[in-house]
Amino acid sequence: MELTTLLQQLINGLSIGSVYAIFALGYTLIFSILGIINFAHGAVFTLGAYFTYALTGARFGFNGIFAEAQLPFGLPFLLALFVGAGLAGLVGVLVERALFRPLRARGADPLLTLVSSLGIAVALVNTIQYFVGAEVYSFPSSVLQGLPPSVNFGTPEAPLVVRTVQLVIGVISLVILVVLTWFINRTKTGRALRAVAEDSTTSSLLGINTDRLILLTFFISGFVGGIAGTLVGLSVTITGPYFGIAFGLKGLAVIVLGGLGNIPGAVLGGIVIGIAENLLPSSAVAYKDAIAFAILFVVLLIRPQGLLGRTQVQKV
Amino acid sequence: MSAGTPLLELKHLTVHYGAIQALKDIHLVVYPGEVVTLIGANGAGKSTTLRAISRIIAAKAGEILFEGQSLLAERPDRVVRMGIAHVPEGRRVLARMTVEDNLLLGAYIRGDSAGIADDLEQQFERFPRLRERREQLAGTLSGGEQQMLAIARALMSRPRLLLLDEPSLGLAPIVVREIFATLRQLNSAGVTVLLVEQNATLALQMAARGYVLEAGSIKFSDTADKLMIDERVKQAYLG
Repeated sequence: MELTTLLQQLINGLSIGSVYAIFALGYTLIFSILGIINFAHGAVFTLGAYFTYALTGARFGFNGIFAEAQLPFGLPFLLALFVGAGLAGLVGVLVERALFRPLRARGADPLLTLVSSLGIAVALVNTIQYFVGAEVYSFPSSVLQGLPPSVNFGTPEAPLVVRTVQLVIGVISLVILVVLTWFINRTKTGRALRAVAEDSTTSSLLGINTDRLILLTFFISGFVGGIAGTLVGLSVTITGPYFGIAFGLKGLAVIVLGGLGNIPGAVLGGIVIGIAENLLPSSAVAYKDAIAFAILFVVLLIRPQGLLGRTQVQKV
Repeated sequence: MSAGTPLLELKHLTVHYGAIQALKDIHLVVYPGEVVTLIGANGAGKSTTLRAISRIIAAKAGEILFEGQSLLAERPDRVVRMGIAHVPEGRRVLARMTVEDNLLLGAYIRGDSAGIADDLEQQFERFPRLRERREQLAGTLSGGEQQMLAIARALMSRPRLLLLDEPSLGLAPIVVREIFATLRQLNSAGVTVLLVEQNATLALQMAARGYVLEAGSIKFSDTADKLMIDERVKQAYLG
């Protein structure tokens, strides 16, 4: 591979890897607090993409209840992205209130909660299909209005061309990563979140309202999931109601690779998988989705706790 | 001592763990400024009493009053806001967080950053070893240091009532003496203490009054001086 091509693919890998990272953080935050993988996360990712799509004022397709419907207004893309993510966050909150909290209050087995979250995922996917059909949606090219389709970081003789979309999604995800890391490590609420993740009973003895923080965690998780959904939808297309399910599996690979419940691990796992996928020779691109799991398999053979995971994963 | 209105009052308190009755018809009173101790064998229900007051386990029947207000409808975090801090059994410091983070979490219910900074300084003065280990993860501290951290963390909420669960457990005698000296200072500074201890001698030396708990019920209570020479207490708990 030529150097410029290599650099190009590294940038692309870093960009999509950051999206994987923020998506995986949504899983990891909930896992670190409840010890449960929330399978509804992939569906929330899909919803985020559809919310943003609708908010930009774009028209839906021929199928579903909302056939050919469109909002009477269209928000600028960046605003639609955040409002859409906020709505996805509210769906996350709804999932916690309707499903996780009642099960927790009954002291349900974590396996039951996990299966129920799969059930919610299926229900959400079908709801999406019911309303907007199963078509592929692309964000109108006008969302990146005024920006050139690609940027050349090299010289005219040795071009290093990166699609603007890749840069946009990379920059947005990196900003989200930085803000989230700052929030968790440097704010009072973030400190309380870490405390609840470590020991929720002790946290409540310190005056922390643990249920409220769990609710906040679901909001943040849904929010970053929604951002990731929109960004992937922008980068490729929204491939239909099942959009987030395959992506969700990759997100699982990312968090297991990084170490379950480990925040820096989720970021590292996302970036490793993003870059590895993009370094594939073009003849092997068809196997792109298998790459994540191949890496996962090899890493787990050597480090069963994941790249940055603690040896002891069991919650006491 | 028993003048005025009680700070804490338990009436007919009954707690079940599943089908098992853990506490039966407990009556207990703590007046402002007192140190009251709850002594008894392992499994008698001492920790359960404290956990019921903090509302991390539910009461089956009876009443818990703090300054005359019922705690039974409150969540655990509300109990802390009302002025009760609980130093749990086994210290329960947040091992993966720094000493400073643990202390700041103790002040979670407060919004006065200047006051919090003052109190942080005060804890470091009270326990100089915590200052040295400020940036260290709490899990790397020794048992004695963790106990100091757990107490200091509880004080960061500026409680009016401190619930202490087995502060001497598993610690070397010299560390225990240091911790109890600090507790005495705290009490003279106005903090009311409800102390649960297996080490009855130690507890009765510090407390004004004591309750003896046996199999989930209060067997008898008296002033600490009288309990110290009571034959039943001597035989069962003082060895």
